[in-house]
Amino acid sequence: MLENVNATRMELLQLRKRVALASRGHRLLSQKRDEISRRLVQIARQIGPLRQRVEKELLETTRRFMMARATMEPEDMTAAMDVPTKKFSLAISFASIMSVRVPQIAKEIAGDIVCYGYGATSGELDVALRALERAFDSLIELAEKEKQAQLLAIELQTTRRRVNVLEHVVIPDIQETIKYIYSKLGEAERDNISRLMKITDIIRGT
Amino acid sequence: MEHAAVIDFYRYPPIGEEDWQYAFQTAKVRSLETTMLSRGTLVDMANAEDFTAALDLLGGEDYAEMQTAATLGDVENVLLAKRAAVRNLFVDLMIDKDLVELLRARHDFANMRLAIRRVVTDRPVGLDYSDFGSVPAAQFEEIFKQENYSLFPYYLQEAVEEGVLAYYAEKDVRQIDYAIDKYYAKYKVEKASEKGSVFLLSLFRTQIDLTNIRTMLRLKMADRLDKDFFLAGGYVDCERFVHGLDVGYEALATLFYATPYHDVIEGGVAYITSEQSFLRLERLCEEHVMGFLRTTRSLAAGPQPIIAYLIMKEHEIRSVRMVLTCKKNGLDTRLILDRLGE
Repeated sequence: MLENVNATRMELLQLRKRVALASRGHRLLSQKRDEISRRLVQIARQIGPLRQRVEKELLETTRRFMMARATMEPEDMTAAMDVPTKKFSLAISFASIMSVRVPQIAKEIAGDIVCYGYGATSGELDVALRALERAFDSLIELAEKEKQAQLLAIELQTTRRRVNVLEHVVIPDIQETIKYIYSKLGEAERDNISRLMKITDIIRGT
Repeated sequence: MEHAAVIDFYRYPPIGEEDWQYAFQTAKVRSLETTMLSRGTLVDMANAEDFTAALDLLGGEDYAEMQTAATLGDVENVLLAKRAAVRNLFVDLMIDKDLVELLRARHDFANMRLAIRRVVTDRPVGLDYSDFGSVPAAQFEEIFKQENYSLFPYYLQEAVEEGVLAYYAEKDVRQIDYAIDKYYAKYKVEKASEKGSVFLLSLFRTQIDLTNIRTMLRLKMADRLDKDFFLAGGYVDCERFVHGLDVGYEALATLFYATPYHDVIEGGVAYITSEQSFLRLERLCEEHVMGFLRTTRSLAAGPQPIIAYLIMKEHEIRSVRMVLTCKKNGLDTRLILDRLGE
């Protein structure tokens, strides 16, 4: 598509600068896109097994917890779980991957997860809670990786769109406009030459 | 009164003599026992294709109204109603109300444990307590708000003190449970002894032993070597459980060989080491208690069959809940059978 421009040399120079800038931007963005893709693939490869592990651990925890709950009297279960002794806090900091701010989660856990006595509770509840405690580490790691992957995927999408716009729209348009200005300028020059030749002929004829 | 850790029986402790005051009540309980679910029914439920098929198996039984239950919430409501009915029947049938109070004390102590935990952690005391204790659930909030513990029976007054002191010694809510569990164990053995109930004394001492066995194995699995968690008053000396913490799993069966719990330990430990689970241990502990309760069938009349019926019925209700919960959530049949027994 031709840009609405004046076919002047000044414009041509500006367009040449723009096309050079766009090409450089395209190259850099392509490199950024490739690097984000690489990082994303790397993270996605880690997420797969991690998610499987977390799902397995959580399933196991739920199964054991369900069994403990089903075999205990409801009042005993309420009493056992009413006042937790485990304190859990998360600290979120941000790191930069290809100028994308990704979260890094650090956890702080204090106290024992088994928050009840042994008289009226099931041993299966201990096993369930300890399995949940073990699953926390993987769960937090998974949350961190999935958030990183999500943010990188959004950035990758944006970058890819920018690269495509530069590659398929901006640069071809400018190049077309440059070509148009070239032809216009060439035509104007030829016009000018033929006018000068005509004037020369007229002068010689007189 | 301190009870010596002497085992003068082979498998189950004595159950006491007949009491002819309970002739009618025992006959009534005997007829009710015939309506209890057989192990075969529970196993069939466990092997059923799904939750609905498991419910269908209860159609001809005492739990027929559950057939319309669509959710686990409906099932739970029916089971809670059944449990309340059994407990009320028990209160009606028992002539000796002191024994009723003694069996109700379990709920008082459980309520107390919860209330103290809430009070020391500055949570609202609330009203969600068990209604089967001697102290009405509604009174708990009021008593704790006024801090007027003299309104409790004497044994609960002492339990409050023990629980609160234990908490402030280490500022750990679990200490409340440990202290109240110990106090409750001591109280029930003393009270049963005072009442001269051979059966209850045997039952409570067996329960204490089984709790100690579970505690020992739970501590072993958690790699905790605290020696102060065992309850005194059982047939097996606490020292043996403490020693059990120091030896390997393979030596436990030998350590308890001369006790009636050898089979419980052997089967439970084998499952713990292979599956990292307490399912079989808990099943064996329950089977041991049920086996003891079944010995009351030899009595023609007495409070023993009535107490045994209450405990067996509560166990049955828990088993039904367990099977239906597992079926509803699609748990493996093998796991259900491991917990239920085949």
